[in-house]
Amino acid sequence: MENLLNIGIRSIFVDNMIFAYFLGMCSYLAVSKKISTAVGLGMAVTFVLFMTVPLNWLAYNYIIKEGALTWLNGLGVPKEFADFSKVDLEVLKFIIFIAVVAAFVQLTEMAVEKFSPALYTALGIFLPLIAVNCSILGAALFLPGKEFNFAESAVYGLGSGIGWFLAVVALAAIREKLSYSDVPKPLRGLGITFITVGLMAFAFLSFIGVKLPFGN
Amino acid sequence: MSLNKNTNGYIFGFALLVILVCGVLLAAVSGALSEKQQMERELERKKFILQSSLGDEISGMTKQDIAALYEKRVEEMVLDSNGKAIDGVSVNQVVLGKEYKKLEKNGTIKKGENIQLPIYLVKAENSEDVQYYVMPMFGFGLWDNIWGYAALKSDLNTLQGVVLDHKGETPGLGARITEQKVQSRYQGKTVADESGAIVSVKMEKGEGNDYSNKPHSVDGMSGATLTAVGVNNMMENYLRLYGPYIESAKQNK
Amino acid sequence: MSTEAVVNEEVAAKPASEPLFSKKNRKLISNPLDGDNPITVQILGICSALAVTVKLVPTIMMCVSVLFVLIFSNLSISMLRKVIPSRIRIIVQLLIVASLVAIVDQVLQAYAYDVSKQLSVFVGLIITNCIIMGRLEAFALANKPWPSVLDAVGNGLGYSVILISVAFFRELLGSGSLFGFKVLGENYTGNGVMMSPVGACIVLGLLIWAQRARNGYREEA
Repeated sequence: MENLLNIGIRSIFVDNMIFAYFLGMCSYLAVSKKISTAVGLGMAVTFVLFMTVPLNWLAYNYIIKEGALTWLNGLGVPKEFADFSKVDLEVLKFIIFIAVVAAFVQLTEMAVEKFSPALYTALGIFLPLIAVNCSILGAALFLPGKEFNFAESAVYGLGSGIGWFLAVVALAAIREKLSYSDVPKPLRGLGITFITVGLMAFAFLSFIGVKLPFGN
Repeated sequence: MSLNKNTNGYIFGFALLVILVCGVLLAAVSGALSEKQQMERELERKKFILQSSLGDEISGMTKQDIAALYEKRVEEMVLDSNGKAIDGVSVNQVVLGKEYKKLEKNGTIKKGENIQLPIYLVKAENSEDVQYYVMPMFGFGLWDNIWGYAALKSDLNTLQGVVLDHKGETPGLGARITEQKVQSRYQGKTVADESGAIVSVKMEKGEGNDYSNKPHSVDGMSGATLTAVGVNNMMENYLRLYGPYIESAKQNK
Repeated sequence: MSTEAVVNEEVAAKPASEPLFSKKNRKLISNPLDGDNPITVQILGICSALAVTVKLVPTIMMCVSVLFVLIFSNLSISMLRKVIPSRIRIIVQLLIVASLVAIVDQVLQAYAYDVSKQLSVFVGLIITNCIIMGRLEAFALANKPWPSVLDAVGNGLGYSVILISVAFFRELLGSGSLFGFKVLGENYTGNGVMMSPVGACIVLGLLIWAQRARNGYREEA
């Protein structure tokens, strides 16, 4: 339990998808002009991360990893016929991860279209682009190195999503205010946004080395 | 195109074809390259081992030279927790990360686990005498795993050099453990006190201090105290694990 | 993501005798280098890019990898554009891109092991690099193979120009070196901010400022 809380806090603040890894920057910059759209996309990303990270955890631990398919031998496939403990599908991990993500996003898109047309029109073309939001594939690709268990991976997904949500809403709020400022013309738009993101990342750097509150 | 592209049959057929082509292509590429990848991974290990012990001697050497030098000078062994060589186990079969999991938080071996410790003996040029003893280490830094090699001179006490590497320490702070400037601080330090008991070498807090009179301390990295703690724990744990071997090797001298 | 900005550059059906490097085709390469740069104007491909620009060597490897994936995915999608069922278009594109990236990853692991270790997950993230999907959707699906390849080369180079400039400043100020050679002397103390993500954002922001001050591009904000 304490471990889960630690993973959650770390993935929200310290390993923030945006400020520590720049993942999901494209849509981050594109939708952060208004708070309302930012909230919408932030929630969509959080939801997709929360669902796909555990799904990809299952895919990695029961399909891709070396020896992960051993359960097929347990199901009655004789060892003489195919010894699955030596099968290593690491080379296919990109394809499998992205397929899981794309399929899941497709389903989400259909559901949103059906149940919340308002949200659907607000997010417009960005919904399908969640599939190519780097933070979602990124979180999956970080999994093999982290050696989580299933519950931990779910918390990690949720935390990363919340971190992304916070980052996008905060930037949108700043940009709404910024439109009243007298920024030099060539710096307006993307330039000043990058510098703002840099300064925000600076603030988030201070979380590095924070002693996590729940034991070790 | 007379085919109707929107029938389910066409879509399935098309998807299947694309998957098949991609799959075959990938399988071919990975099959053709897997041997080379394995070689590269081994070469990195060999390079680290030689770098920790021979230092500058290998700088500027080609990959082939390093492999040849390793072949000529290094003897590999796998030890058990009592410091005895295990027969029939090659160092290639030992995965340090897996062995590390057999340790408790305080560095002792978990109950019921048999740890396997690889050790590399670097022979003196044109002789069978062991010049350096290189021990792999593995641990956890601030964010993620860290690992490295410590090379002891033939007195089994003085550090000839260390090599450290990491997976995800903070760039510019903890990640500096990979810099030669930081690693060279370990050279000439001793791991045992006067009675011969292992005390390890500690990286101290703060940077820019002179520790030349303190054989068990090295200058720290400012802003990376927690990574240094990880390095210290790793080094102490592993020197203790290799302790029985170090003892018996000293007596055999 | 300004996908609409690129629609007007679609090459209409042209006479078969058009030379390989006609004026229009040359524009496909030169436009993305400055006025229609994928990073600073189209806002594509920022995701995985900034994280690898700490040093020049991995940055250049990253650029080469992206260029490779971009060219071959644009080419193959352009060749398949008449036979891809539109309903599974995105999945097919992702599959092809993912396979190409997996190949790049395998090759890097075999022939540039050090660099592949430094790039770690960011090689995999080329799949979701918006430049690739963006160009596939906006260009390759509607154009013939040859212009698609040129478009890929142009955008890949435009991406590389920005990445390499960012890496140049970050390595120079962050480690005092270029390509690993200490150019600012042994005693230069690296600037930690430049090594961290913060430095990348600020350098890129300033680069965009400089570029726009020069070419006069303005954004409604």
